[in-house]
Amino acid sequence: MIFGITLSFLILYLGPIDPVGSILGRQATAADIRQLRIELNYIDAAGNPVPLWEQYFRVVGDLLMLDFGESWTIQRETPVTELIIDRMPATLWLGFWSVVIALGVGIPLGLYAGLRANTFRDYASSGFGIIWRAMPNFWLAVIISGLITAGGALGFYRTAIVETQVSGTPDALNNLFTNVDIFTGVPYLELLSIPVPNPGPWFVATKWILPAALVLGSSSMGNEVRIGRTAVLESINSKYVETAKAKGLSSRRIIGKHVGRNAVIPLLPVIMGEFYLLIGGSVLVEAVFGINGLGNLFFNAVLGPDIPLVMALVFIFIMIQILFNISQDLLYTYIDPRINLGESE
Amino acid sequence: MTRSQSATMTDSEDPILSVRDLQTVFYTDNETVRAVDSISFDVGRGETVGIVGESGSGKSVTARSIMGLIESPGKVLPESSISFAGRELTDLSAEQYQSVRGSGIGMVFQDPQQSLNPVYTVGNQIRESLKINRDITGEEAVEEAMRLLQAVGIPDAKRRLDEYPNQFSGGMRQRAVIAMMLACDPDFLICDEPTTALDVTIQAQILDLLKELQEERGLSILFITHDMGVIADIADRVNVMYAGQIVEKAAVEDLFSNPQHPYTKALLRSIPGEHSRADGLETIEGQVPTPNEPADHCRFAPRCPKSFGACDKVPPQHVSVGDSEGHTASCLLYPDDQSETARVETHIEKESERTEEQP
Repeated sequence: MIFGITLSFLILYLGPIDPVGSILGRQATAADIRQLRIELNYIDAAGNPVPLWEQYFRVVGDLLMLDFGESWTIQRETPVTELIIDRMPATLWLGFWSVVIALGVGIPLGLYAGLRANTFRDYASSGFGIIWRAMPNFWLAVIISGLITAGGALGFYRTAIVETQVSGTPDALNNLFTNVDIFTGVPYLELLSIPVPNPGPWFVATKWILPAALVLGSSSMGNEVRIGRTAVLESINSKYVETAKAKGLSSRRIIGKHVGRNAVIPLLPVIMGEFYLLIGGSVLVEAVFGINGLGNLFFNAVLGPDIPLVMALVFIFIMIQILFNISQDLLYTYIDPRINLGESE
Repeated sequence: MTRSQSATMTDSEDPILSVRDLQTVFYTDNETVRAVDSISFDVGRGETVGIVGESGSGKSVTARSIMGLIESPGKVLPESSISFAGRELTDLSAEQYQSVRGSGIGMVFQDPQQSLNPVYTVGNQIRESLKINRDITGEEAVEEAMRLLQAVGIPDAKRRLDEYPNQFSGGMRQRAVIAMMLACDPDFLICDEPTTALDVTIQAQILDLLKELQEERGLSILFITHDMGVIADIADRVNVMYAGQIVEKAAVEDLFSNPQHPYTKALLRSIPGEHSRADGLETIEGQVPTPNEPADHCRFAPRCPKSFGACDKVPPQHVSVGDSEGHTASCLLYPDDQSETARVETHIEKESERTEEQP
């Protein structure tokens, strides 16, 4: 994590970028520039440049204290935290559906292919997986958005059932939930309310996000088909499955219990890697579909250059990645008893 | 008692398992492998019958055929008959077969390292057997699983139940597999080389355990191995398999004291320790052929020191040999009180009788 942050810091502070210039524009006076430089901590009040290591410790220290500062260029003087929270829902929504697509289609298809190995159905589903795996996101994103926007071959998608946009960020996203007081009348719990989904906006927002989510989830989906298939095959041809049959278990029980859990072991890293999409999103997909999420925000922040925002996002992405890696290791010890965290037997 | 006359005779009174003309073939792209080619044998109640043979002689395929575990591209041909406790197994549907496995016939496999599912505790897997086959669950199942582990000689059974297979040693794991199979309460146990992956000391312990359990529970056992020493130790009667066929059947004492088939003789001669060092170790030249063509000749003929012209043309049938009842061999050298032509005639006759019997 320190390495990642240091690297980003060096790129941002040593690189040939001029945030002061882009904040003030061309008409800036020398006094303004000097003033802002002091404000941004490039030079001290006396006009001497602040040493790099001092800047470094200030930036990293702030990050570690979770003090992300204020935006420089994107929305001047808005707290970075506020910006991120503002953009978070769109990315989460996109990530959520791409994970749903990848998990909901990829894994069942992989299991299906594995259970019917070397039949036509197996070849069909494996082929399906490989095709989705092989299509690069940037290409697929352009093709799909081309097909469904006006005039495209799949243009009917926009008007089907409810007329929706397929790019941009829909307002519906802000109305997904209504807080409902379901504890009214119950002492002590009266003030608590829980969010309840609103079907209308829910549907609109889902329909709007699906094409983008399909693009984002496509390659993981393909991966899961392939790895799921191999994992099932490996497990189903193993001796313990034969032993389980000899015990008189039904094939449903064998697949559900004995094959299932063993097949999850190789799938776990793929699944966990995919949850990273949830937050990390994809700069590319968000850019093509014009979704105002974190990916887009990150892209603009780098162009800005909005150094506090970039640093904050890098910090958050790294934290999430680490969190997922740790939880993946923990899950491993739970699923596969052969791996333990070093406690003695 | 005319039973010693026929090749399809009953080997024992009231057999629990009776296999007739079992044929299991594997269809591959360029050939049809007759892994088990028309074998017949019986296992009586409370008896241990051994099947011995080299690798690739069809021992394990025989076991899997009985268990109904042959999968595509393999197939048990419809002429085959496997009758277990009076029930014809080859006619059963997949669901019916499932009810025979476990509670009727249990099976212990060769490799205890892999026969247990690594992600579930040993106790869990034993309780699963109890639940499916005997409908025992909950606290009672834990108790019963513990008793079973104790019965197969695993100390500290209570703690062991909560351990995973990787925490067991090889011998302990095989004991756990046996406990798991006993949990199904089978009448019949197939042991497919259960001691091959274990060292000799553990091997002897497992064999003693099986004998003990057999006495206690009246189990019938079909014991498959390539190890003549193990067979001598555990089996009551032995079937010697070669290239998918049974070449000699005998009670275990007769087989070792008075082997008749040239293959059995050669096999016993190639066991180390029976001869002085100066002689070197006797071997059987050549390899077991892949039985990919119909049995219209003796498959051992190319390696047989005593083969003669007819061996390549006439499929040998089981004829009574030796002095004891139930000792048969399928070889054109027998019955040895007849002339060569008469012997060949006898075998041709028997073969046509046998093929007529089949529908």
